[in-house]
Amino acid sequence: MENLLSIINTILENRGRKKCDSISPETDLKRDLGFDSFDLAEFTVRIEVEYDVDVFEDGIVYTIGDILDRISV
Amino acid sequence: MKKYLITGISKGLGLEIARQIAEAGDYVYGISRTMTPELRELMSEYPDSINHLPFDLSATELVKEKVFKEFVGLKTSLAGYVNNGACAYDDIISNLDYSKLEDMYKVNVFTPMMMSKYVIRNFLLHSVKGSIVHISSISAHTGYKGLAMYASTKGAIEAFSKNTAREWGERGIRSNTVVAGFMETSMSSTLSDEQKDRIFNRTSLKSATSLQSVASTVMFLLSDKADSITGENIGVNAGTI
Repeated sequence: MENLLSIINTILENRGRKKCDSISPETDLKRDLGFDSFDLAEFTVRIEVEYDVDVFEDGIVYTIGDILDRISV
Repeated sequence: MKKYLITGISKGLGLEIARQIAEAGDYVYGISRTMTPELRELMSEYPDSINHLPFDLSATELVKEKVFKEFVGLKTSLAGYVNNGACAYDDIISNLDYSKLEDMYKVNVFTPMMMSKYVIRNFLLHSVKGSIVHISSISAHTGYKGLAMYASTKGAIEAFSKNTAREWGERGIRSNTVVAGFMETSMSSTLSDEQKDRIFNRTSLKSATSLQSVASTVMFLLSDKADSITGENIGVNAGTI
């Protein structure tokens, strides 16, 4: 989870936005983090480098929980 | 040293683009089906500037694994991609062969689209404002007997490039096409002298398009000098009007 938070903050920083203090499995990527489709694309790429999983390959993910499910498979 | 991914580098235009990039002190990740004596010579001239992957561009489903994971590697930051490698299947439309059409679309359209996908992902990972350059053909604009199928692949690529530019512009990623005229390459080697003369007579300069001129335009579009140019189709075709 800490690793995902650090990736999220890299993306928020790249966009010049405020860092995020904490996330939970319920955190919604669009609603809570304000990610648009480009942010989600960057998020996918950065997760793939760390975990070797393309989280969007099997459909859309909405929450941090969805991502945790896919990277633990 | 900037690193560029280029397809079709074993001969003709791709070889010339690879040469110009190496001469400029930058680095080439080059793809072609075969190794040619000309490419071997260029690689021995610039041993630290060119890495070659033997790869058949019709293997669209292997692009991610073979090109981006094994050859380029996720850690490598690319500055640009040149979609140069292509094949030309020519015949009149009433003889159209579906299997040949499908193969040509894999090489000329589907693989370049998948390459663009992973190149853009590479740009995103490294926060790079990269440049994509597709090689198109004047045949997509003027029409030539026997080239309808080939020209349609280039029309598809021009539309894809325009939309890439629109979609990714806000991340500083650019995409352009160079609309090349008929060059004296192996791709046009099946044409007779009479056919070539007829084609050249349709140009303002009454000549073939030079490889150097097309390659130099690609170099310009890859460079920061072209940082306000995106979504364009730039004609380099001896003035085919």
